[in-house]
Order: sequence, then structure tokens, then C-alpha cells
Amino acid sequence: MVDNKNNGNNGNGERFTGHGSEWRDSNLSPADAMTATSWVEAKIDKRSMLTNKDRVHDIRDVMWQLEKEGEIKVHRVGEHNDPRMAKTLYGWDKKIPTNRIWHHKSCGQCGNIPGYPTSLLWMMNEMELEYLDETDQTSCTAWNYHGSGIGNIESLAAVFLRNFHQAYVSAKAEGLPEGYYYPLVHCGTSFGNYKEVREYLLLSAELRDKVKKILGKLDRLVDGKLLIPEEVVHYSEWVHVMRGDIANRQTIDVSSVRATIHPACHVYKMIPQDVIYDDDVLDGNRVAVSTGVMQSLGAQVIDYSTWYDCCGFGFRHIISEREFTRSFAIDRKIKIAINEAKSDVMIGHDTGCITTLDKNQWIAKADEANAGQSYELPVISDIQFAALACGADPFKIVQSHWHASPFENLFEKMGIDWEAGKANFEAYLKQVEAGNQDNLYDPRRRITGGPGYINVEERKKLGMITS
Amino acid sequence: MGHHDDTTRVQEHIGDPLEGTQDVSREFMEEIFQDIQSDIRFDHELNGCLNCGICTATCPAAHYYDFSPREIVQLLWTENLEGIHDAMQEKIWSCAQCYTCAARCPFGNSPGGLVMLMREAAIKHGMESAKSVLRPFSRVMLKLISTGNQLSPDMISNDAFPDWGPNICKVDAPLKLLRAAIPVPTLNTIKTAWETNLKTSVELYTIWEETGVLDQLETVDENLFDVIVDLMDEKRDDWDDYLDEQDD
Repeated sequence: MVDNKNNGNNGNGERFTGHGSEWRDSNLSPADAMTATSWVEAKIDKRSMLTNKDRVHDIRDVMWQLEKEGEIKVHRVGEHNDPRMAKTLYGWDKKIPTNRIWHHKSCGQCGNIPGYPTSLLWMMNEMELEYLDETDQTSCTAWNYHGSGIGNIESLAAVFLRNFHQAYVSAKAEGLPEGYYYPLVHCGTSFGNYKEVREYLLLSAELRDKVKKILGKLDRLVDGKLLIPEEVVHYSEWVHVMRGDIANRQTIDVSSVRATIHPACHVYKMIPQDVIYDDDVLDGNRVAVSTGVMQSLGAQVIDYSTWYDCCGFGFRHIISEREFTRSFAIDRKIKIAINEAKSDVMIGHDTGCITTLDKNQWIAKADEANAGQSYELPVISDIQFAALACGADPFKIVQSHWHASPFENLFEKMGIDWEAGKANFEAYLKQVEAGNQDNLYDPRRRITGGPGYINVEERKKLGMITS
Repeated sequence: MGHHDDTTRVQEHIGDPLEGTQDVSREFMEEIFQDIQSDIRFDHELNGCLNCGICTATCPAAHYYDFSPREIVQLLWTENLEGIHDAMQEKIWSCAQCYTCAARCPFGNSPGGLVMLMREAAIKHGMESAKSVLRPFSRVMLKLISTGNQLSPDMISNDAFPDWGPNICKVDAPLKLLRAAIPVPTLNTIKTAWETNLKTSVELYTIWEETGVLDQLETVDENLFDVIVDLMDEKRDDWDDYLDEQDD
């Protein structure tokens, strides 16, 4: 049950909500309220809540037909990408590339939670997988769009096609063929937005015509056609299909950790038919990513009643309606995870959610309703937790110092000596100051065109290309 | 706070939602609705509505604001021009864009998606609501349109986010040094989330121009538009210089 008593309640039993002026509190007893809402909770906890729809189609059928008609070209997940299959909401197959990955970064992660992408690249290094992390990419622009309304379907579509085209041709900068790397989308909003845009592109000839002219100007067509990815893949899906491999590398026992999962709205509510559900994960009733890897690592995944709620990020709200953001984050997520689930950590798989839930805990002290209570909960992404469990440095790799929430508590629960780790990191900063920082890959590879690009012949001479 | 037996707090503090609203011509309201309805997404996002209210029941914004996705759907479904115009003054900006409504709707409607069409129309028509609501967003828009990133490390500070508390970073060192200590070479930046390629920025400017995004920006914030155009010109000059060097 959710305690809404501090949620807009003016103290006399009447709540200030948007449900309309005719709304009246039912004044049910707690027991009656539990009975009344149990039906709803039973429904929303089921996969059928999302599948009980008419007119659901697999957009990939349209995609293959358009390719057959010569209208588009499809960037396939090739055998060289070592794909693994996963099942989505309706039991359809989704092909997840696991190797030769083009990292499509998240501006919020890179700007604010840098340990998020760093942990992912570190894990790929540990597994000796190939990838390219390059500068030739824009953000998806969808955070700004959903927050401000600046942008439109054409701009979102053009940005999507431009970035995915770059992923397709990027390997040429290294003397490798087109299509060598497959894009892996780091941000949940990018993932939801790109899937939505792909649907509209495939359904609307008018939209295709409009953006084709723009992509032509950018020299971003393939054989005169728009390039559409066979799958739009989120990094959490990569983590999910690799969870067994990750668990095989585990060095730290996490069985005492009680974890709650925050499923990200733009990951599983936008184009929900393309989201991974696994019968072995919560009986297939919830999105499988994050929960799956936590279970594989042996952590205790604890359910809580507001698992389906958003974090309060709101896109615009985190900037200019902060009272909403922090109230929602505290009242509907953090408090519930602590009070109900006795959670040691909340695990997320998206940028905005982790920022919101991580940063908005301190301010809860200002609410007199929270007097005497400590609402402090470490908030971290699934891949950061997985990297920690596999022995990654908590500061150099997981970059935990950028998180406001009390990671120290989690480290102690996991048996990680964070004080020694912090001291080591502070010593390492002197090495960085002298210009001797360590990198996860050769920095020269990051530039694939324009100023600073080293061409293929030169790369061979420099030993950057060995074959 | 006073409370009357026969009056809800909503009625007491907000009163008649249409009282004092602008007197606008029917033609203008029709034009706005036409813009919303002509978007290719409209017919995919609005399929019917039986007023079941599952969207509003699950809506985070409805907990805190005078906002209901059910109302948005009903206004558009019934083509209630006055109601649509009224909702565009404030209500549409309450939506948190989580799409819980869309995931739940038995009809496959997307109230959150419809809100976006209404926001775009509010911007296109230069509504004061859009201008005032977007003013605090200008830093993000400047960053996005000029660099292709929406956030940068130097935007996260105690001054900008005092309510985030003292732990913006738990290691006491200059931002530049901390960013250099991230072992991913594209992230050793301060003014952008990752190092952005000059070629990428120039391509993005073409997209902004060709899709009318710069026109949107000029409508809601002329000063910001001027700043961004100057930045774009500078980077285009840099790109031309680079190409000239290659020819030499």
C-alpha cells in the first residue's frame, strides 16, 4: 500500500490532485483501502496489463517489406556481432548484438554519472569484446524535446537516422567494412524515442520523403536509401543476455544485498512490445532487464508496491518544477523502497531516473513530515553494480564519487573497503595531473573524421591497426 | 486554511477554470487544432476513449497538478476547441512524459504523445505559456542546439542545484582533473558531456534548419536564437577552414 498522507494532503483529509473538482476522498479504513486496491495491484503486477490491446503489430514486418520493395536498407545484426536471442512482451524474438559494438552515449550519463558508461566499457574490456567509442555522434535530442517541445518528428527522425548511419559507416575509419559495428544505445530515453521514431518512419512515406532529403544533404544515405536498424538495442538488453557471462566473472558475494529495481518508463512503456520479458524473471510479469542480472549475481531482488511508478524526472520538471520531482522521488520511490522493501540499493537502467533518485534524497530532511527519519538509499545502474561485483575499482571505474546517495553503506554491505579505494583514487589523481591517466582504449581511435582524424594508412604506420 | 463543507479546495482556490481566460477567435483555435490534428502521429495516438480514466489513475502529474490525461484525450477526441486552447495555457506543461498512460490505455492512445503535439503547437503559435514555461530551459536548449549534447559537467553545481545537497561530488578536486580521471577518452570534457566532433555539429545545424527547429526557437526566445546562430556561424567557419586546409 502506498502512503499518500503526505502527498498533497492539506491535513483535513482532502487531497489536492488533478482528478477534477468533483473528486471526494472515499474515507476508507486502511483495511478497506487495501481490499479496494488489491484488485488494481493484482492487475498492474501482471504482464496482461500491457498486452491487453488490439492492433498490435511487429513493425519489423513492415521494415522487411519496405526493404524488399527497395524503399529502405536495413542494417542487420550480423553473425560477426555474435547475436543472442531474447523474447519480448508478445513472445517475439529480438536479436541482441554482443560484440563489435558502437557505443551511442547518453548525455546525462556522460555529463553526470560517468561511472555508468565507464563500467560498461570496462566490462566489455574484461570480456575482450571489440567496440568503438567515438566523438561523431549527437545526443538523441529527446530529453530536450520531451521537456521543452522544441523539436518535432522530422528533427527526431533525422537525428536518429544520422547517428545510426554513422554507426554503420564508422568502421571505415579503421579500414574495416561498413556494418562492422552495431549501435548500442546507452540512454533509456534515446532507446524509447528511437524505437518510436523508427515506427513512424516505417509507417509514413511522407515522413520518409521529408527526412530523406535532409539525409541526402548530409550524405547519409546508403545506395540512395534510408538506413534503418534491424533492432534498436538498449545497453540493459546487452547486460541481460550477457548476465551469465557477467556472473561467471563475479568476485564479490552480494547475496546479503537487498535490491529494489526501478524500471525506467522510456525503456519499457514506450513501444512496450519491443521490451524483453523472460519467463524465468519474475514469472515474465515484469520487464526482465536489471532484475535478471541482479538475480544472476545472487542478490535478493525485493518487490515493492510502486515499482511501476516513474521517478519524477519529468524532463522539464527536473529543471524548473523541482518540487514535483523531489516530492515524487521521495514519496513514491525512495520511502517505499526503504520502508516496504528494506532495500540496501535501488538499481536502475536509465539516465534520468538514476539522477533523480540519487540526487533528491538530501532535500527530504527539509520536510517536517520526515523528521526523525533517514531516507538514504544508494542508487546505481545495473552495470555499475555488476562491475562492482566483478571487482571493478569503485572510484576509478564505477566513479561512485559523483553519486550523492550514500554508496558507503552499500560498499560496506558488499565488503568493499571504500576508504582505501578513495585514498587510492586521490593518489591516482596526482598521476592524472601529470598527464598519465589510464584509458580503457587507445584515445586516438575516438576521432573518425574531421580535425584530429588519423587516416587508415597512418594508423597502420602507428601500429593502431595490426591486421 | 479555511475549508467549507460544500466547496472543494480546488473550487475554492482555482474557481472557474475558464474565468479570465483570453478571448481568442474561433479561427485561431481552429488553426491550432488543425496543426495538432495534421501531425502524422495524431491518428496513431488517438484511437477513441470511453473515459475509463486508467490513464489519470496512474499519472504521476495528476497527483500534484490540476492535470488529467483523460481530460486531454477527451478534449481532442471531442474536438473541444476552447478546452484545447485552455489546456495549452498551463495544463499540458504539467505532464511528466513518462508514458505510463500510453502503456496502460486499453485503446492504445498515447495521452503523453498527444501532449507533445499540443506543446509543439503552443510553441509554433508563440503562446505566452510556452515562452514563460521554457525560460528556465534555455541553458539546456543552448547546450543542445550548439553542441548536440543536452547536459554538461559544468551545469551540475551546488549553485545550480542547492537542493541536491553537499555531495555533488564526494572527492574534493577541480572538475577538470576529476573529468580527466575518467578512463574513457571521450569523457575528459567540462563544457560538453562528451567530446563532440566538429563535423557532427555542422551536420546537426543542417538538421535544425531543415526541420524548422530554429524557427521554433526564434518564436519562443529571440535572444537565445541570436546567440545560437552566432555559435553556428562560428563552427561552420571552422569547418570550412578545415576543409580548405585539406584541399591545400
